Amino acid sequence: MSTTGLYAYAITRGLDSAAVAEQSGIGGRPVRLVEREGLAVVVSEVDLEEFGEDGLRRNLEDLAWLEMVALAHDDVARFSAARAPTAPLRLATVFLGEDSVRAQLAEWHEQAELALDRIQGRTEWSVKAYSDPSARPAPAASGGDATSGAAAGEGAGKAYLMQRRAATQRREHTAEEDARIAEALHAELAGLATMSQRLGPQDPRLSGYTGVMILNGTYLLDDAQVELFTRTAIELGERHVHIRLEVGGPWPPYSFSSLDAS
Amino acid sequence: MTEPQRPLTRHSQGQFEMASDRRQPADLADILERVLDKGIVIAGDIKVNLLEVELLTIKIRLLVASVDKAKEMGIDWWENDPLLSTRARGQELEQENQELKERLKALESGQGSGQESGSGSGSKS
Repeated sequence: MSTTGLYAYAITRGLDSAAVAEQSGIGGRPVRLVEREGLAVVVSEVDLEEFGEDGLRRNLEDLAWLEMVALAHDDVARFSAARAPTAPLRLATVFLGEDSVRAQLAEWHEQAELALDRIQGRTEWSVKAYSDPSARPAPAASGGDATSGAAAGEGAGKAYLMQRRAATQRREHTAEEDARIAEALHAELAGLATMSQRLGPQDPRLSGYTGVMILNGTYLLDDAQVELFTRTAIELGERHVHIRLEVGGPWPPYSFSSLDAS
Repeated sequence: MTEPQRPLTRHSQGQFEMASDRRQPADLADILERVLDKGIVIAGDIKVNLLEVELLTIKIRLLVASVDKAKEMGIDWWENDPLLSTRARGQELEQENQELKERLKALESGQGSGQESGSGSGSKS
């Protein structure tokens, strides 16, 4: 009876299997390689109670569990990416044994080689831009807020609606401007990168940022591109008073690892 | 050994900030959006309910500053999902509706009690 499965972290090429022993995976279990024809999948054992279909269904809704697994997944991907070309797998790819891992490696061999060629010698970097509305020059005050009504009844209602409309227009105006800024930032940065993508804005409750995330871009850089890219990003961030810019990286090339893209 | 490194975060001020052993909350969001949404998909033996994972991703990402803000910025990837788009719009309308109701209530009660302290139209006493 097999109550353990193999959690697969990444596909890699040329990673030294002895070096891998230094790294532990989910639950502190040792990481090892499952190899086939020059490619390897980085795996560690997991309990199928936890990572079987029922377990996953339950656990994926638990943010603390998800955090633990996501961090371990990222640690292993990072470890591998620092040493060899590494294409991370999607979270929670679980096999029942080495044979099925090898079968997948055989099936995807060619595409995996291409994916690894694409990201070899490259890392992923993220650039986020936040707009801080309070750092903008305030719009001219329009006669106090609507509740301080000298006007009562109908008048106050009308004033309130007009106030709301004016506020909406102001918001639209600044959002449009921010969208233009974000577009320009991304275009400039993408020009300095090998590949690029814009991701959706993140949840401030999870990320803990203030303001509005107007750009969540991710960029695949050759090692030789990194310096100019990060320097340029920082300079771009200084162009606008109300925009704050963050550069993060290097990441394993999560956003640029897929088997189908050419 | 120097690895595994945590991502360096560099702010516009220009200083490097080595994320320490303890990860920042921002790291978690970055990691989640990548490990749930990106990376190679190959078929494991355990069939994960992708819908659930997707919902989870959506929960994390849709709780954006606000839905209408994202829409103004032209981010509308959830529009294709009828479930999400109706819910998204519903929330927006509901909130506005609620604000208007509260406002109306305040105005109505203001006509009764506000008059006493207020302008000369009071006809009582």
